Amino acid sequence: MRILISIDDTDNLESRGTGDLASEIAREVNDKGWGESSYVTRHQLLVHPDIPYTSHNSAMCFAAEIDESCLESLIDHASAYLARESAAGSDPGLCVTVVDRLATPEALVAFGRKAKQSVVAMTEASALAAQLGIHLSAHGGSGQGIIGALAGAGLRLSGNDGRLKGHLSIATTDDTATVRDIRAHADVDDVRTLEGSPLAGDELVRLRGDKVKTVLIDGKSVLLVVPVAGTADGIAWQNCTKQQLRSY
Amino acid sequence: MWQINQRGERAFAGGNEDWPGAARMAALCMAFHPDVEEEQVADEARSCYNCRYRRWTAASFVCGA
Repeated sequence: MRILISIDDTDNLESRGTGDLASEIAREVNDKGWGESSYVTRHQLLVHPDIPYTSHNSAMCFAAEIDESCLESLIDHASAYLARESAAGSDPGLCVTVVDRLATPEALVAFGRKAKQSVVAMTEASALAAQLGIHLSAHGGSGQGIIGALAGAGLRLSGNDGRLKGHLSIATTDDTATVRDIRAHADVDDVRTLEGSPLAGDELVRLRGDKVKTVLIDGKSVLLVVPVAGTADGIAWQNCTKQQLRSY
Repeated sequence: MWQINQRGERAFAGGNEDWPGAARMAALCMAFHPDVEEEQVADEARSCYNCRYRRWTAASFVCGA
């Protein structure tokens, strides 16, 4: 079955980031033979004086296909991991959602979108999780991270929010690859323009530096590209910069 | 380049889109420390926008260094 695992508020200014903890849990899902994890996505939540975030208020989420018999072991393991590895002063929250069991997935998506726009109370997050049959637990501090954890799951489920954690390593020739070759990467589903148009397989893309990053659009990991101005070598596109991806 | 906000914090006056200004400030800063990869947003590696000690606000960020 398909699950979403989302965590939030595990760090402080000196610790590892929440994304590293999410990646570690994802790796352990694979290593323990519970299932197969996908990439981790970062989801921006509201920045507001009433929200006690460390520095950016983002949640981290990944999907996994697991055997149903492993669900409780996975939840127990992730809970213990967060309790043990979260930084001093943090307020970690864990959300584990069984996607096929959601009677109203749109309610979870709506919660995620709401958490990007307004201040949400812990009681609201807990009530929605209980209503939808979602595992939502706090593992230290105030437990405020349950809000972001639940929101992160909703935003990942929406398929249209967030950037993938990490950079992609794609084989190139003179820093250039075809769209077809880029799509062949395990963590890239599509290559599109910033306006959303897909590119043909034989089009050439210049991949700038080692900062190749995809975003989540239509439930896919999409490499966004922009036109290259004034080239005579047939290269029409290049990957977006960090600044251009900031709003995702 | 800095203002003191209502909470007494040092807030960046350039907002959240002053890429050259944030890079200039970071170049002068002894406390700059890069944030984790997924939280970096500026193309200049050394930028206040990429610093672990910046705390984003709705309009800009405050410096916690």
